[in-house]
Amino acid sequence: MRRAEIVAALVLAAGAAILVREALRLPVGWTSIGPGSGFFPFWLSIGVAIAAAAIVMKSVRVPATPGRDAPFIRTTAWKPLLIAFLPMVAVIAALRYLGIYIGGGLYLAGYMTFVGRHRWISTILVSVLIPVALFFIFERWFILPMPKGRLLEYLLYER
Amino acid sequence: MDILSVFDNLLYGLGVALTPANLIIAVAGLILGTAIGVLPGLGGTNGVALLLPLTFSLTPTAAIILLASVYWGSLFGGAITSILFNIPGEPWSVATTFDGHPLAQQGKPGIALTAAFTSSFIGAFVSIILFTFFAPPLAEWALKFGPPENFAVLMLAFATFTGLGGGDPAKTIFMTLLGLLLSTVGFDIVSGQPRMHFGFVALQSGVNFIVIAIGLFGLGEIFLTVEEGLRLKGIAGRIGFRDLWETWKMFPRYWATIVRGTILGFWIGVLPGTGATPASFMSYGLAKQFSKNSERFGKGEVEGVVAPETAAHAAGIGALLPMITLGIPGSPTAAVMLAGFFIWGLNPGALLFQTQREFVWGLIGSMYIANVIGVIIVLTMVPLFAAINRIPFGVLAPLIVILSSIGAFAVNNQPLDLWIMLGSGVAGYIFRKLKYPLAPLVVALVLGEMTEQALRQSLIMGQGSPAIFITRPIALVFMAASAFLFLLPAIRSYRRRGPGVPHQATAELEG
Repeated sequence: MRRAEIVAALVLAAGAAILVREALRLPVGWTSIGPGSGFFPFWLSIGVAIAAAAIVMKSVRVPATPGRDAPFIRTTAWKPLLIAFLPMVAVIAALRYLGIYIGGGLYLAGYMTFVGRHRWISTILVSVLIPVALFFIFERWFILPMPKGRLLEYLLYER
Repeated sequence: MDILSVFDNLLYGLGVALTPANLIIAVAGLILGTAIGVLPGLGGTNGVALLLPLTFSLTPTAAIILLASVYWGSLFGGAITSILFNIPGEPWSVATTFDGHPLAQQGKPGIALTAAFTSSFIGAFVSIILFTFFAPPLAEWALKFGPPENFAVLMLAFATFTGLGGGDPAKTIFMTLLGLLLSTVGFDIVSGQPRMHFGFVALQSGVNFIVIAIGLFGLGEIFLTVEEGLRLKGIAGRIGFRDLWETWKMFPRYWATIVRGTILGFWIGVLPGTGATPASFMSYGLAKQFSKNSERFGKGEVEGVVAPETAAHAAGIGALLPMITLGIPGSPTAAVMLAGFFIWGLNPGALLFQTQREFVWGLIGSMYIANVIGVIIVLTMVPLFAAINRIPFGVLAPLIVILSSIGAFAVNNQPLDLWIMLGSGVAGYIFRKLKYPLAPLVVALVLGEMTEQALRQSLIMGQGSPAIFITRPIALVFMAASAFLFLLPAIRSYRRRGPGVPHQATAELEG
């Protein structure tokens, strides 16, 4: 945990430096319209950098606990985290083709199978019925257009 | 503004809240909110953010009644999971587990639940009365504020996080500044110049607050729950008439705790930046200190349920006071509601009271109505709500993920927002584990534009000199108070463990 704390603080400090650089591309001083558009971002990014540096200093000063440092993520926790996370990335990446309803249904089905270990019949029922219900709630009742994906669009409008 | 006009407006507001459409919306919001409060992994802040897109097709008054009712519902619901499952459904009900769950284990879940709901109701109701009479004069006073005063009030809000948030001050300041900085991404309001976009065209329209809030609070929470592995083992609870009678009989004994919890909670809620969570911890700590049988606290003392619940609800109400009068949210949940104001085409701030009578007084009226209906709903439907926790996590987690994606996408219809949501989710998970407070980030993000405008206008007024903040009396008072709060952690560590706030009160701010 101590190492994670230091690494995170260093990353944030580096990010702050990049922010300062981005802010410096703007007029940071007094202009014809008063403080320039870069004035606020510039001083904020300086503040962020100072705060990040302070966090780095503090985290280094914390004495290391004797023995092994507890890891940021326990080895046993990696698997459930990745099972939740990676399919999310995949579905968002394939959003143009799957859309939110079909993509969401697949995500639900996958999670129920590999984490919930539900029977296949209830998995199929739930992962079909929930997206259908959501479709009617959001698209029909509240008229919020969601990305429907190529397949659903074809089924709905082009047949 | 005189007292009579307050009554006049209040009656009008109650009338607005009692129209059938608004009444149905309030009940729906309360039931949804209670369900959100019951479910671990789905919090009030995130729940309100998820429902925000649904309000686009409503009138502003109906929209704010819906979101506020969800908030009240989630305040009630958190207690159910705390008491029956020993897992806080919401951060503000952590303190309720201390004595609520032992009571349930001793076969008195009905008494614990009745005590929680009743004290919530009393705390909320007294706070609403305070709210009704404090809000109009405060708004009227705030009308006199110019940019320097506005900036000074905003500084006070940020300073509160650092001074009273209880976390690492460096991390709190970092998160506040980062939130403000994120709000500058996009077009500069004064010059129209795109800025802080790192060359990405999509970033020129800015990063959306709701998307970030859904990521930080929604997905971040899911990742944390997934990591810890959720195992719910509950105690069946229902409330019979005997429970009501036995609990209510005890209540007069706790009048001091209730009064203390209400005033403390309301005040902490009003302070911009602090919400229901620290209020509940402080109230619990104080009740324990003052109680004659403090050694029974933590082992199933009814007073230990009464104290945090009274304060949490009082703070929930109080948090809306600066939001509606000054445009400064008192908690992350209020920040999400404030983001709604912009979407509904309203300008938050003191002028609302003058120009949006239906909206402001409809909201106040609905607070009275919704809390009365709310307490009846939870008292009668506990077994139903507790049953929600039977939804297996394998279904619940992906469902929350899908709802989060729909909510994030609906704000701008922009696929990039889903990536921003996912990124914020990961960031939220890491920040939470490393104890970087999320509340200042969220509140600063929503207030960023207002802060920058106030600062730039003030500097123009002062011809570039920041002295304008100390030459105007009201601004000076706020600036001095902010300076004190910013320095408070340093003063405290210098004096090392003075009397006052118990250490538990330093839990993470949320609510």
